[in-house]
Amino acid sequence: MDSSRQTKFLVAAVLLLLVPRFSYAIPAFSRQYGTSCTTCHIDFPKLNDFGKAFKDAGFKFPKDDESFLKAPPIMLGAPAQAELWPHTVYPGVIPGLPPIGLRYNTFFQQASANRNNFNAVLPVGTVGTFIPKSDFQPGLFSIFTAGNFGSGISFWVDDDISVAGANSNGGLGDGWVKFNNISRLFKLPTDSLSLRVGQFELDIPFSQARTWNMSGWDIFDEANIGVQNGLAPLQNVNNGFAFSSPAVGLELSGGHAYGGYHYSVAVVGQNTSGAAANPPNVSPQNGVAFASDSNFKDLYGRFSYRFNLERDKASRTDIQAAGATGPRDHTSLALGTFYYYGRSVQSLSGVLADGVTPTVLTAREPFYRIGGDVNFNYRTFNLFGVYLAGHDHNLLPVTSGEAEGPTGFVVSNPATFSGGFVEADYLALPWMMAIMRWDVVKSSADRVNFIEYDPAAPPSSSFFSPYSATRNRFTPGVQFLIHANIKASFEYQIRPKQIVYDPATGTALTQPFRTNLATAGLEWVY
Amino acid sequence: MKRNALVGLIALAALTTAAYAGTIHGKVSGVSGESVVYVEAIAGKTFPAPAQHVLIDQKGLMFAPHIVAVAQGTTVDFLNSDSVAHNVFWISISGNKKLGHNLGTWPKGQKQSFKFDNPGVVPLLCNVHPEMAAYVIVSPTPYFATTDKSGEYKIENVPDGAYTVTAWHEGAKYKSNPVKVAGDTTADFTLSK
Repeated sequence: MDSSRQTKFLVAAVLLLLVPRFSYAIPAFSRQYGTSCTTCHIDFPKLNDFGKAFKDAGFKFPKDDESFLKAPPIMLGAPAQAELWPHTVYPGVIPGLPPIGLRYNTFFQQASANRNNFNAVLPVGTVGTFIPKSDFQPGLFSIFTAGNFGSGISFWVDDDISVAGANSNGGLGDGWVKFNNISRLFKLPTDSLSLRVGQFELDIPFSQARTWNMSGWDIFDEANIGVQNGLAPLQNVNNGFAFSSPAVGLELSGGHAYGGYHYSVAVVGQNTSGAAANPPNVSPQNGVAFASDSNFKDLYGRFSYRFNLERDKASRTDIQAAGATGPRDHTSLALGTFYYYGRSVQSLSGVLADGVTPTVLTAREPFYRIGGDVNFNYRTFNLFGVYLAGHDHNLLPVTSGEAEGPTGFVVSNPATFSGGFVEADYLALPWMMAIMRWDVVKSSADRVNFIEYDPAAPPSSSFFSPYSATRNRFTPGVQFLIHANIKASFEYQIRPKQIVYDPATGTALTQPFRTNLATAGLEWVY
Repeated sequence: MKRNALVGLIALAALTTAAYAGTIHGKVSGVSGESVVYVEAIAGKTFPAPAQHVLIDQKGLMFAPHIVAVAQGTTVDFLNSDSVAHNVFWISISGNKKLGHNLGTWPKGQKQSFKFDNPGVVPLLCNVHPEMAAYVIVSPTPYFATTDKSGEYKIENVPDGAYTVTAWHEGAKYKSNPVKVAGDTTADFTLSK
């Protein structure tokens, strides 16, 4: 097995499972509008309906935005200049206050007694990976900025400045500009067409980048790394795409997240290998390497419809900042579907049909992800879930006759996975939300990859060794708003049925066991 | 004849009362901004509820005005001028939680009314926008005034007599002082937080 690929897979999997995450609320908007975080958030960063409307409108109040601004925007040209266009720069605005928000979080983790079971596979006397029983962990220090430039142009940039206490670059999250409601230019219905350009999280049903949970939903982190060892039919699939990764490209969208239809169609760069190209014969723009690893552009589409079920007509049809009897007691049902199509590319050294002449063989393996989602809200109770299936075309390299290397590919069984999650959030009090989640991922490749891993690169954690092809996780949690911008969170991840195998024989070395993890976190934004 | 004499006596009494109606004026210090000064309930005296409504607007995510003093029995109209829904509620009146009330939530252009029959300090809140706050000071008598920003106030047409006068300021401890009104009377207050 390719140890570097496996190491990458293991590290990615473990990091995704273990690293607590939190995400954003936007204090800059609180400053500009002189209002509380809870105007837009239920339990930040979970948006309430008004927050969704605010976001849909391009980070503006959907109506009479100017009347709410406590810090007037700075004009970059008098509005009357617009009449002179194209003989002048079209007038815009920048926010009156620098739209900057900062956040920091810190964690404490307590792992179960089985946490070091993986070391059972190591020869006696070998120093294994040690996982402490408990651990204080510094989190992320991040900067984020968002707002609008007038003319319906909004923007967002977020970046992790420090990760896990080191000043390592956590990297850019989202960085995009959005031309809201360009439908007006084509005399289409209001908000039926907007254009977003840059790096952004795909329009998935529930944002992984801005999830309110401490740990992300497993299915959105799922990459399809095909079976890499000899215990099962070989799969030559090494697709690092996951919905949790930001995409780079452009997106057309329309409708609203708070009621009625919503759609988006995105064309994004392809990069399933995770490697950025920086060829010596082409000078990348501004020194930035190329982001794609193939010519193909991936496609993503989503459609959803939300039925507002309030009895009160105004609450049903208006932007639901508040229901008839309170701010959070909305009843709605949303159904959606989404589809991603891409083409994973793998190149390897091979030979031509003569069996001798060196050449580069390229496997282009189309893949798709298809899913559906449901989101039901009754007053302060929110039940939602996602089902997702992944399918990768699988081309196995073949060596014909006495050739000195692979000469081509044959089609084999596709690499597939499926799964999803169901989550229930109950806002017991305006400052306390109870959470119960069930994550499930079914991937035979994941399991087999962990049965015969490379002993030279053992997993760094025992938190990802499924007993069967189905990997479950149950995660109860509770979150408290100490203030509207300070949150304390607790989460208990239960992973039943894990096991450790001997990498040489594939035989089980342990009985099935659980590896549980309790995490407490504090986050504040300002 | 007797009836005419009675009317005459009543008129005389009224004129006499008017002649002895005084003014309470002074300054509320120790705090900055508007305060409210009012005469506490007078034993044996009741006053008719004012017919005129008072308006409190919700605009730009703020109550306007922020502090309103009204006489007991006044009806206050709460208008929403914002294009977002607002709510009005109070958890108590002068700390009495039994008098808490939620008027509900309503959209732009609509208003709800409430008649304040219980005197005291009513801290208004909006459960949609928790940063919004305002106060209705319900005076048990029609003798009240809101100070200017320097703390100066003037309550006119107060009959001569001995009263308890209270000064209230947002976030400060209220203070009640005995005041004997005889014509033009001065009553200063020093409040602290």
